[in-house]
Amino acid sequence: MKKLLIVSLLLAPHIPAFAEETPISGLVQTRCLITTDTNGVFGNPLPSKLSTASADGGVVPIVRYDVTLADAYVAKVTTPTAFSSSPSLTDSVAWTGTTAVSKTSDAGMSGYEAAKVTYGYTTQFDLTIAGSTWFSSTATAVYGGTKSFPGGSYTAIVVAECIAK
Amino acid sequence: MRLAVIALTTALMASQVHSEYLYGISGNMAGAGHTWGMNNIGPSNQRGMRINGVFYQYTPVKNTEDDMLVHVRNKRVGGGYIFSSTDDWSGLPGGIPITKGFTIDNLPIELWGDGSIDVEGNGLVTDANVVYSYKYNNDCLTPMSDPSCPGYMDAVLSMLGNAEVEAYDPMGDENISDVMDEKVDLEEESEEEEDKEILENILSSVDDSVLSANVLSQNLLMFALTNAVTMNTYYDKKLAGGTYKETVVLDGGNLPDNKKGARAGLAQQLLHTKMVSMQYDPKE
Repeated sequence: MKKLLIVSLLLAPHIPAFAEETPISGLVQTRCLITTDTNGVFGNPLPSKLSTASADGGVVPIVRYDVTLADAYVAKVTTPTAFSSSPSLTDSVAWTGTTAVSKTSDAGMSGYEAAKVTYGYTTQFDLTIAGSTWFSSTATAVYGGTKSFPGGSYTAIVVAECIAK
Repeated sequence: MRLAVIALTTALMASQVHSEYLYGISGNMAGAGHTWGMNNIGPSNQRGMRINGVFYQYTPVKNTEDDMLVHVRNKRVGGGYIFSSTDDWSGLPGGIPITKGFTIDNLPIELWGDGSIDVEGNGLVTDANVVYSYKYNNDCLTPMSDPSCPGYMDAVLSMLGNAEVEAYDPMGDENISDVMDEKVDLEEESEEEEDKEILENILSSVDDSVLSANVLSQNLLMFALTNAVTMNTYYDKKLAGGTYKETVVLDGGNLPDNKKGARAGLAQQLLHTKMVSMQYDPKE
């Protein structure tokens, strides 16, 4: 037994030292997917007014949130405060906007509307239930009090975000 | 024979069968009320129709504090429910549409009973929309598409009707026999003429062959004769040296007259003259 031990001790310093780096890879699938369900269109009920309301001849933009993990995300929808593209404007534009739950995939989501928080042009919804929720936004732009908008193409953006809690 | 014809028809049609699934979506089954039957889903007479999806949407109308359950479901033939989804709106506000979709594991249409939207509690359901997606075989669009389709044999028998089915014998057809007789007569006449032509052709061919053989043999003989004279030996003769040089040398440069030769020449001349003159002598 002693001999064996001695031999082992003698050999030990001669064992070469190897190093190996083992990678670790992973894939995180999104659990909150935002999809544009309907593109909005401005109506022009008055020369000085552009509106997405259907009563004004517009189309309300709708965005859908698909959440597969309950109570993990907050939806933030911000209505526009400026045109992303438009003819040259020489006066100010007054913006108003609202966002509401338009459709749900679960009865429990009907409470989202009552629990929503609005600050500025942003509306925040707590996505406590897994499933799909549709949010519609209205946006209205009034130009210079009563001035007529110059002829041309106008584009504005609704920003939808999904923020992890 | 009738059975044979039917069997042949069956085999031919069966060989053309190919099965393929088609997909479709029903209309709004809840458009006319909150109960509906499943008989009008998709095209009629579809064999093997299977439901693979249910989609519904409605808007609850209620007070928030009220209890309300909404059941969307289909009865199962034989008892129970083959599909059921319940939304509990108790304590929740109404007014916001709800939409849901379900994947169904291709359940045969025969199992699906009547569908309904039932409200339990206080509240109403408006703007209801229930849609089924389905798939089906297209191989029974007509009963004769496939021997396994319902009503296949009836359709085949109906197509054949009550007419007697007789085997067609082409040899008994008068038109065909007439044509065949005419053909035999023509063949006999033409055979005699053909024999004469063949004999003439053979004889003319023999003459031609003999003539050709003679010409050929003459040619070979002439070739053999001319080939015996070899001209090459004449063509190849050459003179040795090629030139003959002068070898006579005169000493002193003086060449004296040959007196003997002169005498002999003169004597010869005299004799020659005498001989010539003798021809003028008168004959004795």
